[in-house]
Amino acid sequence: MSDILRTVDLSKRFRQNVALDRMNMDVPEGSIYGLVGPNGAGKTTTIKLLMNLYEPTAGRAEVFGHDSRRLSPRDFAQIGYVSENQEMPEWMTVEYFMTYLKPFYPSWDDARAAELLRQFDLPPGRKLRHLSHGMRRKAALASSLAYRPRLIVLDEPFTGLDALVRDELIEGVLGNAEGATILISSHDLAEIESFASHIGYLDRGRLQFSEEMASLTERFREIELTIAAPSPLPAPWPAAWVNAEQSAAVVRFVDTEFQQDRTTAEIRRLFGDVRQIAVNPMPLRAIFVTLAKAGRKAA
Amino acid sequence: MRQALHIFKKDARHLWIEIAVTLLVVAAFTFTCARRAFWLADPAVNRSVASMLLSFLLPLAWWILIARLVHAEALPGDRQFWTTRPYAGKSLLAAKTLFLAVFVNLPLLAAHIVILLAYGFNPLAELPGLLWSQVLITAVLVLPIAALSALTTGFVQLLITGSVLCLALVAWNIGMPSAGLDAGWRALEWIRSYYEIAVLALAALAILVWQYARRRTAAARWLAVAAVVLMALDVLIPWTAAFALQSRLSKQPIDPASLRIDFDSAKQWAARALIEKGDRVWIEIPITIAGIPAGMSPRYDGAIMAIEASDGSTWPADQQPWSHVTSRNRLLSLQATVDSGFYRKVKDQQVTFRGAMCLTLYGHERVANVPFQATPVAVPGGGLCAATPGAGKMNYYLVCNYAFLDPQGPPTYSPFPAGLALDPVNSHVVYRASLYYPFAPFTAATVETSEPLTHLRRDFEISGLRLSDFEVRQKVP
Repeated sequence: MSDILRTVDLSKRFRQNVALDRMNMDVPEGSIYGLVGPNGAGKTTTIKLLMNLYEPTAGRAEVFGHDSRRLSPRDFAQIGYVSENQEMPEWMTVEYFMTYLKPFYPSWDDARAAELLRQFDLPPGRKLRHLSHGMRRKAALASSLAYRPRLIVLDEPFTGLDALVRDELIEGVLGNAEGATILISSHDLAEIESFASHIGYLDRGRLQFSEEMASLTERFREIELTIAAPSPLPAPWPAAWVNAEQSAAVVRFVDTEFQQDRTTAEIRRLFGDVRQIAVNPMPLRAIFVTLAKAGRKAA
Repeated sequence: MRQALHIFKKDARHLWIEIAVTLLVVAAFTFTCARRAFWLADPAVNRSVASMLLSFLLPLAWWILIARLVHAEALPGDRQFWTTRPYAGKSLLAAKTLFLAVFVNLPLLAAHIVILLAYGFNPLAELPGLLWSQVLITAVLVLPIAALSALTTGFVQLLITGSVLCLALVAWNIGMPSAGLDAGWRALEWIRSYYEIAVLALAALAILVWQYARRRTAAARWLAVAAVVLMALDVLIPWTAAFALQSRLSKQPIDPASLRIDFDSAKQWAARALIEKGDRVWIEIPITIAGIPAGMSPRYDGAIMAIEASDGSTWPADQQPWSHVTSRNRLLSLQATVDSGFYRKVKDQQVTFRGAMCLTLYGHERVANVPFQATPVAVPGGGLCAATPGAGKMNYYLVCNYAFLDPQGPPTYSPFPAGLALDPVNSHVVYRASLYYPFAPFTAATVETSEPLTHLRRDFEISGLRLSDFEVRQKVP
C-alpha cells in the first residue's frame, strides 16, 4: 500500500509554543487512521498542516505525494474535510449548499447526495444557520461524501454530539467511504476503536507511536503478579513496563512490548519465585490512559 | 471562468439586499445630481443637503457591499469551509472583481453618463474623464476597502483596523511639519495626491493578488503597514522635485534663459528690512521679470533664495533655502525672514540675493460671450455656461458647468482628465444684482479662460544691495 498522507519531520511552532515536534507519520492508502491524543496534543495542528491551513515551521507534509503547501483545487476535489469548528455559509439552505458545491467536484454524484440527505435526515429547505449543531455537522459530512473523495479527513468530528448522532455519522462515513482513506482525529478512543485500522498517538506535539491497530492491541498487556513475599520493585525496571503499582505481594504494570515468552522470562528473572502471573489484554481506552499517565510521569 | 461565474452568481444571490441598497443610493445620487442641472430654471431643485448626504452614503454603501463580498469567503483564518474546497484562487479573485465591476463600477458609470446628459454634455466627448474617474474611484474608494477586507475576518475587525489606520495617518499629518517650500503646494498638490493614490492602489492590488493566491495574511498585513508608512512619507517629497517633474510635463516648453529677473529699481520704495519683535528680520525686495513671451502671463509658484554678504556670510547657511514670492497690486517681490544676528552682521555690506524662481506661464487666453438665454453655450476649457437675467431682470446669474475638471476651482496643473469626485460636474455660479448695476441691463456675460502652458525654473542673482538702506523699525504699540 502506498501512503496517501505523509509527514516528514513536520514541526509547527506558534511563537514560543511547540505545537508539533518533528512528526513522522505515514497513512497508507485505504486505511482508517485514528490520530489520537489528549486535548492540546497537536492533532488539529497536524490536520491543518496537511490541509494547507497552516504553514509548517519545519519539515513537510505530503498529500497524494504532493507538498501540502502546493495542494491544488484538483487535489481538494478528492478530499472530504470536516472539522469540529468549521464555519459554514450559514445563509445557504441545505439544498442550495449541495447545489452550490456540485460544480466544484467533477465526481459529484447526485444520487449519492440525495441519499446522504435522506440518510442524515437533513431538511433540504432549511438554512444552515437554523440547523442544530449535530445537523450542521451532518450537512458538512454529506457535502464531503457526495463526490466519493479519495481521502476523508475528519478533525474531532464527533465532539459535542450525542451518542445517536455520533453513531449516525460513523455509519454514514463508513457506509459511503468505500475504498477511501480516512484520517480521523479524536481524543475519545471509544469512537475510533471500533473501526480504525491504524492508530497514531500524539502527546505534547510528539508522535509516540503510529502502527496498525492489531499490532498495537497485541503488544499492550496489563500484567498482574502475585509474588511470594512483599519486596521493593527490582531495579533496573524495564523501560517498556509502565505504570507499575505494588500492593503487598501484588504487582501490577503495563507491558508496552508484550511477547508471551520474553515477558514471562523477564518476570522470572526479576522477581524469582512468582506465584501467579495474570496477563490481560487491554482495550484501546486503557492503552490511551496508560500512555497518558506514563507520559505525565516522565514529564 | 466557469467557476468564477458560479461564485459570482452565489454572491449576487447572497448579497441581494446590499446590492439593492447600493443601487438605490446610486439612483438617488444620480437623480439629485442630474436635477441640479435645472437649477437655473428652477432653484427649488437644488437639494444640497440631500446631495451632500448621498455623497457620504454612496461610498458607505459601497464599503459595506465590498466588505460583505470579500468576507463571504474570508481569507484570514483556518475555519472557513471554502478553504478546503476546490476553489481556485484566480477564479475567486475573478468572481469578486466581476462583482465589483457589475455592482459598483457599472452603476457609477451609468450614473455619470445620465448626469452628464442632464447637463447637456456629450458623454462620448467626455470618455477620457468618464474612464479616468472610474480609475480614481476604484483606486481610492474600492481597492483599499477590498484589501482591508482581505486582511480581516469580519466587519468589526475591518472597522477597527480601518479606524486605526485613518487615525494613524491623521496623527502623522498633524504631527509632521510640512517640508519644502513655504510657498505651499497648491497647483502642484496633485503630484502628492497621485503619489498617495498610486501607493494606495498598488499596495491594495498587491495585497489582494497575494491573499487570493497564497492566503498568507501575516505577510500581507506587513505589506499594508509598509504602504501606510510609504503614504505618510509623502510629506518628504521635495517641492522642488515636484516642480521639476511638473516642468517636464509642460505643454509648450520655453527656454528659461529667455527670462531675466532683476531688482525692480523703479519700485525701490517697496524694499524693506523690517525689524520684527524678537529675533527676526523680515526682508522684502521688489523684482521684475523680463522676457515673458507675448500672450503669456505668469503665475508664481515659489522661489528658493539665499542671501550672501561680501564677507562670505550666508543666510541660510546649511538648511533648505526658501522664501516667498508674492505678486500683489502689480508689485512682485521676494520675501524672506532672517535671523537678527545675521542681519546686524551684514546689513551694511553689499549683499547678493541668489536663488531660483519657479513660475508657470499661462496662455491661449480665450474669451467667450454667453448671452442671457436659456440654452447653454460651450466655452473654452470644456465648459457649458448659461446666463439668465432672472425674474424682472433684477438678478443676473451665470452658471458654468465643467465635466470632471474644474478650471474655475482651485488651480491645479494635473494633466489627468478627471479629479477624484463622485459628482462628474463642477458648477460655478456668478450672481449679480441689478440693484448695484442700475445703469443698463446686462446683455451677455463674458467667460475668460487660459491654460498653463509651461512651468519653468529660472535662476537669478541680484547683487549690490545694502539691507540697511531699506531698514524699517516695527512700531511697538
